[in-house]
Amino acid sequence: MSTRPSKNPRDQANRTTGNERLQFDRIYRDHVDLIYRYANRLCGDVESAKDLVQETFLNAYRGFKDFRGDAQVSTWLYTIASRACLRMRRKKKGEPERELSLEEFIPTSEGEFRLQISVDGLSPEEAFQNKELRQALDQAIEKLPRKYRMVLVLRDMEGLSAKEVGTVMGLNERAVKSRLHRARLFVRRELSARGITEGQSEEPRATTQTSGGSYR
Amino acid sequence: MTKKVPTRKRARAQGASSHEHNTGRCLHILQRLSAYIDDELASDVCEEIRQHLGACPNCEVFVESLRHTVTLCRHRPAPALSSVDRQVLRENILRAAGAQGRL
Repeated sequence: MSTRPSKNPRDQANRTTGNERLQFDRIYRDHVDLIYRYANRLCGDVESAKDLVQETFLNAYRGFKDFRGDAQVSTWLYTIASRACLRMRRKKKGEPERELSLEEFIPTSEGEFRLQISVDGLSPEEAFQNKELRQALDQAIEKLPRKYRMVLVLRDMEGLSAKEVGTVMGLNERAVKSRLHRARLFVRRELSARGITEGQSEEPRATTQTSGGSYR
Repeated sequence: MTKKVPTRKRARAQGASSHEHNTGRCLHILQRLSAYIDDELASDVCEEIRQHLGACPNCEVFVESLRHTVTLCRHRPAPALSSVDRQVLRENILRAAGAQGRL
């Protein structure tokens, strides 16, 4: 038995709403874990990350008609999440966005060239058994000015290409690479003697060696 | 990520252990280290950097520490959302969308 398409506007509206809901559910199901992971890395705490996920998918729901499919859904959602994050953080703090200069990352004393916690000969998974290292890395990323943090998270943690990061952030590749380099140098410095000694354990730590080991 | 970096031993053999890090050359190298690690540089520039690293132990240690930093970032696990939270968030989103006349 066939059914004719209804001409009743309310029926059509209900069908549109039903389609939107289906599309939303599909996008939500396939990408919520990805966006939560990104949000968690950007925000650094669970509740803010959940808020950002909600804001992202609500904006995605509202803007779904504008999504033309010429970008990957994940790139589109990363873009919405990044903008939402900037808005949320602006509301919360209003801290000025600091620029990072290359000169500030030039080590000035012997201990600053190497990482303070040894990772030599360890796989990354083994290295992360060290709670101190995990905390130091998380704190270093959290301390990054947000526009640098976003680039580092998208490129080095989420694994996007420089071009994709540029699409998400509205930057050209050159600017993405420049920010990424400064962000990496910042985190490296935080994990060196200069960054890590303040407020940490008094016990002497092992240091990295110059070469060898499987940690690559 | 698998650039062959000259060893400190070789650098010492070249008599560069007293090299003072902070010179213009080191700054020039520092500017390019991410591109070097990401293998984005032309082979002649890579060779130029490798030669410098062989002659400057501090830069050699520095590039290894930067490489380790990037590896740590790439492998840092992130916490997952529980299935309950996934469901609660979905309901909150749909409720908020409905409250704004979308449903």
